[in-house]
Amino acid sequence: MPEDLRKVRNRKGMSVNQLASKSGISIATLIQYEKGEQRISPVDLRRLAKALYVNEWDINPRSSPLPPPPSRPPREERPAGAPRPSRPQKKPPQEKKPPPKPPPARDTQIAHLLTLVAHFGIDQAALEAEVGKPLGELTRKEARFWNGHFMRRIAEERPPKQAIDRRRAYLPEGVDGFELAYLQEQQEAGAALHFTLFDGRTFEGAVVGFSPYQITIREAGGDEITLNKLAIVYYRKAGGVAGGVE
Amino acid sequence: MSLGDELRYLRAFHDNGNLQQIEGEIGLKPGTLLCMEQRYRRVGEDDEVLAKIAAYYDVPLETLQYHRERYRKALSAYLHQAMESETTARFELRTGESLVGKVRWWDLGAFGLELGGGEPLTVVQRHAVLDWPTANVR
Repeated sequence: MPEDLRKVRNRKGMSVNQLASKSGISIATLIQYEKGEQRISPVDLRRLAKALYVNEWDINPRSSPLPPPPSRPPREERPAGAPRPSRPQKKPPQEKKPPPKPPPARDTQIAHLLTLVAHFGIDQAALEAEVGKPLGELTRKEARFWNGHFMRRIAEERPPKQAIDRRRAYLPEGVDGFELAYLQEQQEAGAALHFTLFDGRTFEGAVVGFSPYQITIREAGGDEITLNKLAIVYYRKAGGVAGGVE
Repeated sequence: MSLGDELRYLRAFHDNGNLQQIEGEIGLKPGTLLCMEQRYRRVGEDDEVLAKIAAYYDVPLETLQYHRERYRKALSAYLHQAMESETTARFELRTGESLVGKVRWWDLGAFGLELGGGEPLTVVQRHAVLDWPTANVR
């Protein structure tokens, strides 16, 4: 005996949404089928039977129309000028709960406090006299206050740090001012310098110019030669012999 | 001579090539050679990198390792100490010579050495110094 689609769906415990997603038929169409507003097409009937795990002939192609929903009782007309019916009264305000009891001080806070007061030679009894209550009754907030209090006292009593006179040795390795000053001096004096190069060659002449990487000299014959510093071993004023060389 | 100075020296006698070009040829990260040539402190800790550089310049790895131990800061410290204490300093040069004298000044590239005996001040290039007494003391 075929049943209406709505009944079959309800029997299978499926919602319209679920059936729609399972069968691939839109919700609007399903509602029209269930209300009996539209006859179920053979294609949709096959889909619905498959989705509901029933035979096609178990579903009535045209559902019987749904009974109209029960109507609300009409509102009673309020005569003009009549007082509004009073709304149900609000619940009386509940009594405010007492604030929760502040948490007691942690053991670690108490231990820290005792360590701090030991700096001043204060024992537990003296501390309790200063605090005004036994340490066991201190709240967490109070313990934090007293810890801070004694830490500040310790900091105040600590002797000020003495300024350390740190001086760094002057290491002129970042500048080449000394060599340049020496060359400047020799250039101004017009002195001839004797250069020894790595390849064993020697050059002698007056300095006519220099840079951090090169030195230009004028030889006795008037020729100007630029020497790369990387090629130079050492140099000195001309006329001197390498007396200190072993 | 520090590793940096040695590398500068080798580069100068090896066509004076461009640093980036050499790094590319050796297969080093850009800036590796530049860093080594410029640093005052001890550099070149990676022996693999040193081996690549040694192969490029055709020198033994031990040579570069030797220069690594003689970094510029170490020579600076020796020069500074010798000048402050006015003691006689001794330097072995790359040319095989030994110079003995008092350090009168020193800077980035050279130092002035008074050899004694009325000789004029000798300006020695730092890169010419191969060894000094405290070189290997770390």
